[in-house]
Amino acid sequence: MPKHSVLIVGAGISGMRAALAAKERGSDVALISKVHPLRTAGGTSQGGVNAAVRDGDSAELHATDTVRGGDYLADQDAVALLTGAARRAVITLDHWGVPFNRDASGRLDARGLSGATRPRACFVDDMTGHAVVQVLHEQVLKAAIPTYDEWMVTKLLVEDGACVGVVALELASGKLEAFTANAVVLATGGCARVYEPTGAAYGVTGDGVALAYRAGAPLTDMEMVQFHPLGIKGSGMILTDALLGLGAHLVNGSGERFALKHAPTLGERAPRDVVARAAEEEIVSGRVEFVALDLRHLNGDDLKLKLPLTSNIIKTQAGVDPAKDTIPVRPVAHRTMGGIRVDSDGATGVAGLYATGGCAATGVHGASGLAGNWLTEALVFGERAGLAAAQQPARSEKGIDAKLTEERNRIAKIMDKPAGSERAGVIRSELGRAMRRHVGPVRDASGLQEAAKKVSELSARYRQAGVTNKGQRYNYELAAFLEVESLLTVGEVTVAAAGFREESRGAHVRQDRPARDDAKWLAHSVASFRLDGPAMAAKPVVITKWKPEGRRY
Amino acid sequence: MQATFKVHRYDPEAGGKPTSQPYTLDLPDDATILDGLFKIRDELDGTLAFRASCNRGFCGECTLRINRGGRLACMTRVATAKNKDGEITVEPARFARVLKDLVYDVDRQLWQKIKAVEPWLQPNGGVQPEHEHIVPDEQLRAVRNAMKCYYCGLCDDGCSVIPFDNTFLGPAALTKAYRFIADPRDHAQAHRLRLVGEPKGMWDCVHCYEADEHCPRGIDPTARIIDIREKAVAMGIKSGATNPQVARHYDSFAASVKKTGWLDEGRLAVETWGMTRLFGLLPVAWRALRRGKLPIPYLHRKRPGAERISEIFKKAERRPS
Amino acid sequence: MKVAFYPGCVSRGGCPELYPSAVKVAAQLGLELEELTDVGCNGAGVLSREVSDPINARTFAKAEQRGLSTVMTICSTCTGVMGQANIKLREDAAYRERINREYLADEGLAYRGTVAVKHLLWILHEEYGLDRLKAAVKRPLRGLKVSPFYGCYIRRPEVIVEGKPQRKQYLERIIEAVGAEVVDFGGKGRCCGFPILAANETNSMAMVAAHTGEAKSKGADCMVTPCPLCHLNLDGGQPKAEAQKGAPIGLPILHLPQLIGLSLGFSSEELQLKRHIVTTRTVSEKVQLLT
Repeated sequence: MPKHSVLIVGAGISGMRAALAAKERGSDVALISKVHPLRTAGGTSQGGVNAAVRDGDSAELHATDTVRGGDYLADQDAVALLTGAARRAVITLDHWGVPFNRDASGRLDARGLSGATRPRACFVDDMTGHAVVQVLHEQVLKAAIPTYDEWMVTKLLVEDGACVGVVALELASGKLEAFTANAVVLATGGCARVYEPTGAAYGVTGDGVALAYRAGAPLTDMEMVQFHPLGIKGSGMILTDALLGLGAHLVNGSGERFALKHAPTLGERAPRDVVARAAEEEIVSGRVEFVALDLRHLNGDDLKLKLPLTSNIIKTQAGVDPAKDTIPVRPVAHRTMGGIRVDSDGATGVAGLYATGGCAATGVHGASGLAGNWLTEALVFGERAGLAAAQQPARSEKGIDAKLTEERNRIAKIMDKPAGSERAGVIRSELGRAMRRHVGPVRDASGLQEAAKKVSELSARYRQAGVTNKGQRYNYELAAFLEVESLLTVGEVTVAAAGFREESRGAHVRQDRPARDDAKWLAHSVASFRLDGPAMAAKPVVITKWKPEGRRY
Repeated sequence: MQATFKVHRYDPEAGGKPTSQPYTLDLPDDATILDGLFKIRDELDGTLAFRASCNRGFCGECTLRINRGGRLACMTRVATAKNKDGEITVEPARFARVLKDLVYDVDRQLWQKIKAVEPWLQPNGGVQPEHEHIVPDEQLRAVRNAMKCYYCGLCDDGCSVIPFDNTFLGPAALTKAYRFIADPRDHAQAHRLRLVGEPKGMWDCVHCYEADEHCPRGIDPTARIIDIREKAVAMGIKSGATNPQVARHYDSFAASVKKTGWLDEGRLAVETWGMTRLFGLLPVAWRALRRGKLPIPYLHRKRPGAERISEIFKKAERRPS
Repeated sequence: MKVAFYPGCVSRGGCPELYPSAVKVAAQLGLELEELTDVGCNGAGVLSREVSDPINARTFAKAEQRGLSTVMTICSTCTGVMGQANIKLREDAAYRERINREYLADEGLAYRGTVAVKHLLWILHEEYGLDRLKAAVKRPLRGLKVSPFYGCYIRRPEVIVEGKPQRKQYLERIIEAVGAEVVDFGGKGRCCGFPILAANETNSMAMVAAHTGEAKSKGADCMVTPCPLCHLNLDGGQPKAEAQKGAPIGLPILHLPQLIGLSLGFSSEELQLKRHIVTTRTVSEKVQLLT
């Protein structure tokens, strides 16, 4: 039974950053991950890492943009922490070897992403996330931090109200093993795979979110889902919105730049939720499937130079020559602002259980997270969570063996069950489409009721379903089956939270409640696990300096 | 659109032999190979094992051989891949040990080799802790180019040497070494060049340019290996400690061209391997000598223009690198 | 037609049968060669580019000086090394200017970027013409089974074929043009192992054994190669490869001009076929019977 001081579930950007912080504290830390660290979803992030590194910018301005971008749902103390620590986070990455682009004087360059009043996204061509993942992994190798690759955590071990470890499934062998630790840090990524289509990686199924929730850690702001406006047809693969930053236009069937209707000043450069909603409304009202991304007026060579990977995707996946034709795009689920509620040190409320990165909600994104802030958050709060977890004392592991046996029996029962007439993949797809239809960029009460009924029906069907693959080795069908359980939990809570918030704010827009209601709803939605469905409560937003204003771009 | 996927199936622990299992699918027109594989697993055959992650051509996880060519399954469209019979062959990478079906041993094939090159920045600590390195952007372009690598392993898959010798470090790991050797913030250049100059390292590369043909990211790993070899030569590190004949080969080659304008092969053989080694080749050497195919070392005449060639060498040596 | 002729080092060193064969064949075909006698070794992929690029720029400038626009090679490695150098010098004006200034100027030379580097193999297709070659054949090599072996540097990297992918089929077309039969095999475009003879002899010999063994098993009477470095390994290294493999191979390896020369009516003696390490007797005998 492997034992460590700190066990980090998920070896993505935030997980690896937490591991490095814990290791620096002298902790015996280990990473456990469903995929090899270099295959993590964060590697696809293209925008950059926000930090006030340029002259004329400041942590204060960064915070102002962030609070406004989040439509005043962001906890302002957390935002101040984020923006105050951002520069050091980026400098650390440079010292570790991330080859950030430089300006003419050899200093860190930065570009403007949506919702930023100053250029502050430090970037590495159009592959910032990829570069950061690589360098963090290099440091993990240097620090000789052990990594359990291709293990899927299926259960949290909670003893006397404290988390003392996990049970995980080794994909290579099918065996289940218990891992104990003084502290477990969940860094399992967000929940965007609850939607279909989505641009998110296959593994972004909210496993950590569901595990924490069922272990008693509340989830917050789950209704806040960011839709990325530039999903290309079919798979939901997205094109980076740096394209919009470079001047690309979004047009409807009549050639109108419809984003300007919603954001007269910034147009396509407004925060993602504004642009996604604009596109969604065009699609629904025009009864079409896509809007058009127009790059024809841009300099093709410049594009290939600045965004080489994107140029390739446009050509091979969209099958379009952007110099001649427009590209059909539509909003797809991208990231989830909500997640496990954590304090500034990643503590979840369950002793010994921490969370960071996509699965955690630190409060910085509010109702809509700005591009570039996600990587900053992962780094700043990942470090904090790692440090905090490293200081946790050992706890009693008395009941571990029994719990491991219990989990082994549970999985064995799933395996032994006759598969029934239905497979989990169908359930997953139906859930995804229902979520997109009823809990998309624009919602309403009756749609949410439909969604709640659907999730309930699908959960019942899930309990009847089984796994056809009875083998032990690399049983991805079993892994996918377990992921559907996470997705159903995430779906249930997301629908409940969307129904709970009776106003429109940021990414959450309700046609039956179109106005923002600061009197009643300057509060986070908080969902706590109950057997008969989430218990919802409201927790006031932390307001320090910035008084809520209108949010018009 | 219909397509028939012929998929490699094999479980080494179950015994038996690898088979090719056909699955006929109905897919949307813009479906990718990966979409097809997921459809197989979700609807037809839950026992199929394959890896996938980002679905965006960024992470390298779904690298497979599709119609015998290495590519990313998520970026390959079914419509373009299927042959006139509507068939597509899907197999794992060529030389890696298959773990199950399309899942292969990336650890032994790739990760272990990358670890062997000390893949982390080794700075000299001169930078101010509160500030970034001040570096001209042009000096980081080569680093960023090499860091486009997403460890798909296709360069190793196309390598001429690896099928004969899987202990060869290979283009992927050597490109990783290049990434640090080319980084102005790294200060372990000489150490790294010695490390990858040992046997099975960069001097074992045949510079056949297969890696450049196979790399889907335009990193040109062969050209990167040639870059670090030239860097090593410029720093006087012409081999590792245990393969000195490589350094002798370079020095002899350069010395004869510098002196006479062209290559004295006899001298090259003698100076690379030494006379005792050459005596071991005696039967062949004798045959070669009798047939006039063994250039007598050192009886090699200068060609016209030799002085000019010599001047070029001297100027190049004087040039600051 | 007239071309500048760059014979390279090995064609008069370790493969002395190649130079006279090439000269004889060119003369018979009416291909006028003006040998560049005062130029240097192009580096063969061994020497660093800081020294080999100026040497090669000088070679090209010398060709220009003689009013010639094509430099003909008879070695795949020469073709690739010089070809890559030429592409860089042609396309990067600033680099060419620096090389001219620092290395060529004091000799009164300057490379203007007007030369093309072409192997005899390419010239026969692209400038001479395959039909013309067929018309010159006096003794079609009917029944002779020949496997092509290109040599890496004449096929890769992609820039070398200069937008003409058909260059990767030229050797098979020549085999057919001289009346012989192509025995195709998987290793024809792969590496012979010569570059790592010093660094890793085991791997080098394994490559020789694999490629010659494969061609032989497919029924080839001989192999033909446009690269004398490949020839050194495939022919000169074959006994060692056999010893390492623990099994005989015995596949004769011909240079491209020797194969063409046989079809033009030259004798084995004229083409110095007895100089090879692996006997070419079976080829000579088969060809004798054709007369």
